[in-house]
Amino acid sequence: MPAPRTRSGSARPRRRKKVFHRRKVCRFCADSSIVIDYKEPKTLRHFITERGKIIPRRISGTCARHQRTLTQAIKRARTIALLPFVGSLE
Amino acid sequence: MQRYETIFIIDPDLGEEGRAPVVERLVQLIPQRNGVLVEEDHWGARKLAYPIRKKQRGYYLRLDYCGDGALVGELERFCRIDDRLLKYMTVKLADDVNVDEVQAEMAERAAAKAAAEAGPTAEAGPTEEAGATEEAGATAEAGATAETGATAETESTEEAGSTSEEDESGASAGDKDGDADEASPEDTEDDVDEDDQEDKE
Repeated sequence: MPAPRTRSGSARPRRRKKVFHRRKVCRFCADSSIVIDYKEPKTLRHFITERGKIIPRRISGTCARHQRTLTQAIKRARTIALLPFVGSLE
Repeated sequence: MQRYETIFIIDPDLGEEGRAPVVERLVQLIPQRNGVLVEEDHWGARKLAYPIRKKQRGYYLRLDYCGDGALVGELERFCRIDDRLLKYMTVKLADDVNVDEVQAEMAERAAAKAAAEAGPTAEAGPTEEAGATEEAGATAEAGATAETGATAETESTEEAGSTSEEDESGASAGDKDGDADEASPEDTEDDVDEDDQEDKE
């Protein structure tokens, strides 16, 4: 899930602190048992928004190498209708 | 020779007997063009993430084979012509494959499968499946879990697909690659700025 856009200045300090403290780790580096495969939409689902957009690594914390393979896998999964190009709002 | 994997989405309304000739044709094309079929993997009918030719479901078939570009071209040409195939996608798995090695791997897998089936004859079902996953892991096949997961799903969904009535609505040829990602720049840029500011402060 991408962070919601901040609306006002009041919400800012708290959010900054939280972001600063939590170090995001690449999920695929931390757990090598997860394989990025376009045939596994279940794992790929975690890395797209409910609208079907790919979550940027700035938000998900995925490392550059894995984000590249992930992106390719998601795009392949879209091609064969395992993932949506445009998701619907539930 | 390269190793490819093609996923075909076949019309789910064909039923078992309507689908058989399509699958047979696809499989037969491979040896005709000096290819070697490694694996035929039926995922069964499953829901599509978006409708293709107004159909919400599709029967997935994965073929893993060795061959050259001409074979892929022929398979894809057939897919474009035939109305019963909704969509297809080919992925190259490996370059310069040694056919003998692949065949050895196939034999090994078949042997392992036979052993797994022969072993726990008393307790069928769950133990057998566990054996299958182990074997897949041993051969270091990528997406081993996907395969086993998919086969499990097949069992549950297949019935629904085969019972549905035949219904032929041959629309125009399928669109491969609909255009993807409409990134929304404003959205992301906004976030970047915020993050930058935060870092400075």
